[in-house]
Amino acid sequence: MNLVWKLLRQHISKSQLTGFFVANLAGMFIVLLSVQVYSDLRPLFSGGESFLNKDYLILTKKINAFTSLAGNGSIFTPEEIEEIRRQSFVRKANGFTPSAFGVTAGIRMGGRGFATEMFFESVPDEYVDVNTTSWKFDATDRVIPIIIPRNYLNLYNFGFAQARNLPKLSEKIIGSMPLEVELRGEGKRQHFEGRIVGFSDRLNTILVPQQFMDWANQTFAPEKTIGFSRLIVEAGNPADPHIVHYFKGKNYETEDGKLDAGKTMWFLNMLTSSVIAVGLIICALSLYILMLSIYLLLQKNNVKLQNLLLIGYRTTQIARPYQNLTLVLNGIVFCIAMIAVFIMRHYYTNWLKEIWPDFTSGSTGFLFGMGVALFLLVSLLNITAIRVKINKL
Amino acid sequence: MKEISLSQIVPEVFSQREKKESGIWYREVAFTKGEVCLLEAVSGAGKSSLCSYLYGYRSDYQGTICFDGENIRNFSKTQWAELRRVSLSILFQELRLFQELTAWENILIKNNLTGYKTLQWIENCFYLLGIEDKKDVTVAKLSFGQQQRIAFVRALCQPFDFVFLDEPVSHLDINNNRILGELLAEEVKQQGAGVIVTSIGNPLNIKYDKIMQL
Repeated sequence: MNLVWKLLRQHISKSQLTGFFVANLAGMFIVLLSVQVYSDLRPLFSGGESFLNKDYLILTKKINAFTSLAGNGSIFTPEEIEEIRRQSFVRKANGFTPSAFGVTAGIRMGGRGFATEMFFESVPDEYVDVNTTSWKFDATDRVIPIIIPRNYLNLYNFGFAQARNLPKLSEKIIGSMPLEVELRGEGKRQHFEGRIVGFSDRLNTILVPQQFMDWANQTFAPEKTIGFSRLIVEAGNPADPHIVHYFKGKNYETEDGKLDAGKTMWFLNMLTSSVIAVGLIICALSLYILMLSIYLLLQKNNVKLQNLLLIGYRTTQIARPYQNLTLVLNGIVFCIAMIAVFIMRHYYTNWLKEIWPDFTSGSTGFLFGMGVALFLLVSLLNITAIRVKINKL
Repeated sequence: MKEISLSQIVPEVFSQREKKESGIWYREVAFTKGEVCLLEAVSGAGKSSLCSYLYGYRSDYQGTICFDGENIRNFSKTQWAELRRVSLSILFQELRLFQELTAWENILIKNNLTGYKTLQWIENCFYLLGIEDKKDVTVAKLSFGQQQRIAFVRALCQPFDFVFLDEPVSHLDINNNRILGELLAEEVKQQGAGVIVTSIGNPLNIKYDKIMQL
């Protein structure tokens, strides 16, 4: 055995080092786990949708007892729409065209099926940001592309499927599943195939291409006049305070597009950073324990260290055993923390996959980066502190 | 290193008191390589202090000590470490052995650093000094006389231009004194080194070129 190490390991306190080890492991584990959970969850919340540009506002009239009794109170009159278009902050504004005909949509799964009455709405294609080859309708091939609110899928997965023991569906599976759509009106009845091309967090409606809507309204309800109860507005600057002021004065409501995903993302950020902060504090405290322990050790071995220097050892040579000790400890902590994070991750991804069938885990690059950075930082602080202390002998 | 020169040096604790006649303090003195000097003094005259100044682990003195003209106050820790491996050796009065290590390990911890002596040479020394059976005994269990011999062997396990021996035979009999003297003389001859031995009346048995009173 190395004689210098045999000398210098005297007075090493196992309990103090264990204290450091456990504390540093806890801190590192907390930091690394939160980093990884963050990396894994982020795409879930931020992946969201891109069918609608963030700068678009969706405008409705406030519904109260009076307007609902008056029947058509929620419809924007052409004058009102004109006025909105004239506002300086509005670039363009268009109505959501509702379906004036009857719609029934159904789904068939393994012999069982269900169908429901429903409705469609459309906005001009320029507002919808979806790949144009799938966002078009041709009366001859009878396929209707549809965007539905993501809530509907959640409603099915967490409510209906859960209660009836039906399989949970991922967005991908839903997308490949044909809907049976029946359109009725003017004594006509036609069958189409509906295909869900996307899910939206922002649009609280069932959206179809304008082209289809125009054709269908013409075919199944040529007589009916269509009023717009919702408008889609492109604002130059959605944060412009005039917008809020104007809409408030007119008693209009905007559907806040940034809603859920944004809030959840903010919450996730907040949560992750506070947990990481706690982990870092624990790491810092553990580092403090280690430093105290090593200072104590240097103090107790002071005479030996002095004598080593006097027989010709360099300060770097006598600092090295202690530096190696901290390096090995930190290395073991790093490895165990990484393994623990991967084990935890295995469990929570399984659990997340049950809730979100679509869940795919994020990358581990950030985890490795953070782990290595922490390891290097803690080790560097240790090594420097020991060198400084020994140089003062 | 060829020469150690002392100019007007005196321990700070002595500077307040009345000047006494001394061969070292407040004088210009030089030790040259190849010279064997004996410093005689009564207790408390500052022998060990002088050794600690020359070996660079205390600096509470006034005046100037130069190695080949260079003031040793300006030496860095690294320079001292280097000097203590290749140029200066010492047998401390208080020995400074590692009590937890065995006699053998105490020698190796130095020899591993310098790689200067063969294990065979060390074993032979142990044999000559009558401590070959103490090789694997921890130093804490040895008598001071035995420890003194081990510290002596350790002091020889390196190349040196000067060697300081601070009361090296205070606990040794005449026979061991003679053997130490022979071993040292042989080593000094080989290396052409300078020797400074201190004594309070029972000096190391070796031929001195110069005897000074501290």
